[in-house]
Amino acid sequence: MTDDEDDRRRKGEERRHPSEKDETSMPRRARDSGRVRAAIRNELEEVAEDSAAKVPQQGRKPQEEVIKLENISLAFEEPILQDVSFDAKAGETIVVVGESGTGKSTILKLLLRLLIPDKGRVFIDDEDITGLTFDEALKVRQKMGMVFQGAALFDSMSVYENVAYPLREHTTLDEDEIEARVREKLQFVDLEADRVMDQMPSELSGGMKKRVGIARGLANNPEIMLYDEPTSGLDPLTTATITYLILKLQRELGVTSIVVSHDIRSAFRMASKIALLSNRHIGFFGTPEEMTGSDDAYIREFLGGF
Amino acid sequence: MGGSSGTLRSYHDANYLILESFNDAAKRGVHSLQEFFVLAGKALGFIFVKPFYTADLFQQMDAIGVGSIGIVLLTGFFTGMVLALQSAVQLQTFGATDYIGRLIAGSMIRELGPVLAGLMVAGRVGSGIAAQLGSMRVTEQIDALNTLGTDPIKKLVTPRVLASLIMLPMLTVINDFVGILGGSVIAKFYLGKPASLYWRTVFEQILSGGFTLKYIPNDFIQGLTKPFVFGGIISLVACYHGLKTTGGTEGVGNATTRTVVAASILILVVDYFLTQILLAVFQP
Repeated sequence: MTDDEDDRRRKGEERRHPSEKDETSMPRRARDSGRVRAAIRNELEEVAEDSAAKVPQQGRKPQEEVIKLENISLAFEEPILQDVSFDAKAGETIVVVGESGTGKSTILKLLLRLLIPDKGRVFIDDEDITGLTFDEALKVRQKMGMVFQGAALFDSMSVYENVAYPLREHTTLDEDEIEARVREKLQFVDLEADRVMDQMPSELSGGMKKRVGIARGLANNPEIMLYDEPTSGLDPLTTATITYLILKLQRELGVTSIVVSHDIRSAFRMASKIALLSNRHIGFFGTPEEMTGSDDAYIREFLGGF
Repeated sequence: MGGSSGTLRSYHDANYLILESFNDAAKRGVHSLQEFFVLAGKALGFIFVKPFYTADLFQQMDAIGVGSIGIVLLTGFFTGMVLALQSAVQLQTFGATDYIGRLIAGSMIRELGPVLAGLMVAGRVGSGIAAQLGSMRVTEQIDALNTLGTDPIKKLVTPRVLASLIMLPMLTVINDFVGILGGSVIAKFYLGKPASLYWRTVFEQILSGGFTLKYIPNDFIQGLTKPFVFGGIISLVACYHGLKTTGGTEGVGNATTRTVVAASILILVVDYFLTQILLAVFQP
């Protein structure tokens, strides 16, 4: 190191706040991890007040298990999930986090019974859905609303037809009732119904597509909402809006939700519990507070990485 | 010693690897075939099961049938003309140019009409169906349909298959007619034959094939059975490859290519066997 560089470094240290001085003796990684966890704790305090306003799902006991995965193992060419278990009680929001390619989205496909596990069982409302026939599975899926990573709106249909689709398929509502429901759902996701209803999905921005996707998922008033990477590929402001919407759903409608995400900031804002998927197993399952308090090396590293 | 046993071992290993890869390829082939027939069975079975997606059916009939009229008119007319031109040269050597109408009508109705319409629709409609369903697959719209409680086979495959089954014979009739019309242009202006003679020989050909149920010319049965089968082949192959698409936009491109290649080859191969069967059943 040259004298010049040494000099600059010393000046930099002098400019630092006195309270940060003891941190300089810590390794850099641990220091970053500490700051992130402190920031998360602050955020948790901010939302703690809101969380108190959570309402349990109508007609359900708060402790009733709505979703339960029991010792799930699944392999295609190589193992994806091994001995994965967790549950969601009525009105809870479970956020499944983990690195990319760890099989997070596979869990949603198992819940929808688009995939059948090699071992283990999946329960929706105490009903084992692993052994259902195709038609029976279609019925169970009607209890669920799913928001896809890329929204997966039908690009040959207008926004109105997209949101109306599940109503036309599964209800006997007349056109006026369908329109009223579509308007209600679009308003719930903060979209101006009159402006967007006749637009095609290709004319919408990424954030608007996600919101229409949520409205379509909600159209049938499902008891369970599933979200696949709801905030991926969105700018920070739109990410905040979508996170707020998921929270709004949880509080105002008491919907039980499973969110798959790698956005740990949003995860901490909306989760009742977090399931950390690592190396094909559930490495941690508990509340955000328990997660930040954990001394487990992998969890610390995982949180430090964000 | 050690060296020779090493060679022997690697020789065995190589044999084993070849056999194993052959075995894997055979298994994949059988599996794909099985999946194709399951899809075909479901798609055809759903034609009779509620709910009927009538709007989708009409939309597909419009896209597949009405949308293909232009290319069918063009290919039919020029094929009829070129067939007449080539035949005229040959028939002139025997002094048999009076029979050109018979030749054109026989070739177009029994063979060229169905096969050409089939190949054109495979290129235009088959690729379109594969690309559309492939894009829907990679953008998770197929998963979305499943999630919303709709069977994608019933909603997407059945209307396309049914529309193809209905529209391809109709396109073939148009193709046959403009082909014979193209032949008449050559007969009139190249060979100088009166139109009345040409059309009379056309009808003679149709009547000479014999009748089924007293009134239906056998040539028509042959000529309409084929496009019916080809319609099924094109739509099912396209839907199969579309729904099986993986790997993003590149996968969509691959599905489209595979559809056109497979459907075209199948049309030509099936045409041969179908002709043998039909000739045996409807012998004049």
